[in-house]
Amino acid sequence: MKMMKNVGVHRFATGAATLALVAGGLAWSSGAVAGASSKITISVAYAANTTFDTTPLGYTWWTKVKKEDEAKYPNVTVKLVAVDGGEPDFLTKLALLYHSPSTAPTIAQFPSTEIALYASTNYLMPMNKMLKGSSWFSQYPKVIQNEGQIKGNIYAVSAGENNNGIYYDKAILQKAGIPLPWQPKNWQDIVSAAQKIKKAEPKVIPLWLDAGTSAGPNGAGYGILNLLAGSSTPTIQTSSGKMVVSSPGLLQTLNFYHTVFSDGLGAPTSQLFSPNNAPNIPSADFAKGTLGIAVAANFIGGNWTKQVSFPYWPKASTDMGVAGLPTANGKGYASTLSGWDYGISSGATSAQATAAMNFLNIAQDSTNLIDAANWAGWVPPVQSDWTVPLYTNFASPFNEEFGKILPYSSELPSSANYSVWVQGIEQASGAIAEKPSTTGAQAESQMSSFISNQLGPSAVTTLK
Amino acid sequence: MTVSTIPLDTAAAPHVAELWKTRHDKTRFQWSSLTLLTPAFALLIILFLIPMGYAVYLGLTDLTLVGPTAIKWGFTGTQNLVRLKADSEFWSSLWVTGIFIVGSIVGVIIAGYALATLLMKARPWMRIVVGGIVVIAWMMPAVTAGMTWYASTTGGGTFATLSGLANSNFLDSQPLLIVTLANIWSMTGFAMLVIGAGLRNIPSEAIEAAVVENSSAWQRFRMIILPLMRPTIIAVVLLVALLSLANFSLIYIMTQGGPGTATNILPLYSYQQAFSFNNLAYGALIGNVMVIIASVFGVLYVRIAGRQ
Repeated sequence: MKMMKNVGVHRFATGAATLALVAGGLAWSSGAVAGASSKITISVAYAANTTFDTTPLGYTWWTKVKKEDEAKYPNVTVKLVAVDGGEPDFLTKLALLYHSPSTAPTIAQFPSTEIALYASTNYLMPMNKMLKGSSWFSQYPKVIQNEGQIKGNIYAVSAGENNNGIYYDKAILQKAGIPLPWQPKNWQDIVSAAQKIKKAEPKVIPLWLDAGTSAGPNGAGYGILNLLAGSSTPTIQTSSGKMVVSSPGLLQTLNFYHTVFSDGLGAPTSQLFSPNNAPNIPSADFAKGTLGIAVAANFIGGNWTKQVSFPYWPKASTDMGVAGLPTANGKGYASTLSGWDYGISSGATSAQATAAMNFLNIAQDSTNLIDAANWAGWVPPVQSDWTVPLYTNFASPFNEEFGKILPYSSELPSSANYSVWVQGIEQASGAIAEKPSTTGAQAESQMSSFISNQLGPSAVTTLK
Repeated sequence: MTVSTIPLDTAAAPHVAELWKTRHDKTRFQWSSLTLLTPAFALLIILFLIPMGYAVYLGLTDLTLVGPTAIKWGFTGTQNLVRLKADSEFWSSLWVTGIFIVGSIVGVIIAGYALATLLMKARPWMRIVVGGIVVIAWMMPAVTAGMTWYASTTGGGTFATLSGLANSNFLDSQPLLIVTLANIWSMTGFAMLVIGAGLRNIPSEAIEAAVVENSSAWQRFRMIILPLMRPTIIAVVLLVALLSLANFSLIYIMTQGGPGTATNILPLYSYQQAFSFNNLAYGALIGNVMVIIASVFGVLYVRIAGRQ
């Protein structure tokens, strides 16, 4: 009996304790909920390994901005979502993050060529109202402001831009008898200089022109599309959305490739088709003195700095020269313009959107903007920053020179069909590099066949 | 001497008569066995049939990775099938896949058999060292194997140096041959182990008898070894075919399917469609074609393994 009584007491005590725990737990959780209502969390997704020149530089920059934001807005928690992998991996993973509202990042940084795709999927929030009072966005050149604009709505804002030009080794050009400073007036001048280099320095690669598919869509942006931009008909996508698979400009560009590779002036395919970061190979070749001229991106100059060390080459500032890439017929310069942009998720609450805009204001603060430009190899989107010593001194004289030629640049299209089109033109340039007997017309025909097969005849067009 | 037979006394032993009446050529079925099979059925449905059915369904939709149909997507009937039929890249990719698989099978069988035979006759220490190296190559991650072969076969690599043609780029001039060789290299260890085990199971008496009969080495191989090894070799052929069909990583590391589309086997084309061109549904459809091809090899393997 006593034992039974004890059991009853024990049961009562256990029940009471359980009730107390449940009640306490409820009280704690309701308190937490109440606390959470004033606490805002925003997530920021970015490419951990591809945007910045090195992964540690990217980590340093993002952590700094997060700390500054959380210090200025104590009620905001910034959750950094570092997405690992190369650019194609990043784009796949980001798209998958956007697929679910629970994982969609409040802010994401992505290439400008993706803006239209994300906007058409309704992943992004129009930022027009939020940008009205912005001190930095108003300082963007029109071409960069328009980068994220679709039918009047601004879906993304530039974090930094990549444009392209010509790098040359002064000593090699001098040996080839080319007067310095060198500024080719048209494409024929480039071929002539490369031929002179081949004659004077047979072991040197005369001209680096990116070719093939190994560098992904970016490879074309750093190579063949710059020439297309300076051709007689640079159109890639018509106003009706059709992709151009044959045009005088395309033929002119591919014929130029044919001339370069059939004359043995281009880089070997072991470098051009390297899966190991082909667009950065010119910086290593120049440092070794094995490359004469390169059509390459603005970030090559930054590669030679101590912070990036790809490779570290302190004499680059005096040994290397920079020139604008001329158009085919010598009427000015040409370059593609492709940047990385910030977009705010359409699923963000108004409090999160405000917090996201505050975060962008800190990220776009002049010092942070220039740090990002220096460490990611960008031209900063704010025009006045192009002459700020923090930017120009980082990779002198390259940073300043690429700022000067940025206004000649033109945006790449942003559409679903562009990814197929760019694969087609890369296959065409790769076919010429691999088999230099391939004529421009043959390469264009291959390209047209591939793109038409993928997109269907109604999505492509020919320009006369 | 007379042989007496014992007459069957069916009246004395009725159960024996029942046994005689039982038809052993008919499958016996008991409803209670369904209960016991339920967990296996459930696993089969959850882990195989539902995902497969969903993949088949996805292949007949307009789902994309990004773009308007990434969220609002739907069934499009035979639209993707019609596209597949007219897709020259797909047929080219199927052809490249076929060459890659056949080349891999031939190379793996020859190299595996040669190594297994040589190692059987080799000294024990040599068997351990060479066998170990070959097995390490088989166990090596595809990323490492791909990078090793890339570095060896590109311009300035080991192949170019050894051939005395320093500027030759074998990977770009003969891409399909090189990736097939890399695949053979990585799978030879597996074939060597299986074929070696098969060779050790051949009765030595049969070989010795053939030697006594003054048979040549070729006759012994053709008349004794090959017939006895046939089931083992067929099993290796089918497994190498299945493994090669699914070998995405090696080629992706070495060539990404290029130059052009020279090494664009079906797994790479499926990936390209799904993730480079954002056509998830079409990529799934190409994946379904691969499943059909793999199923044919799988059924053949199961039937042959059953016979053994």
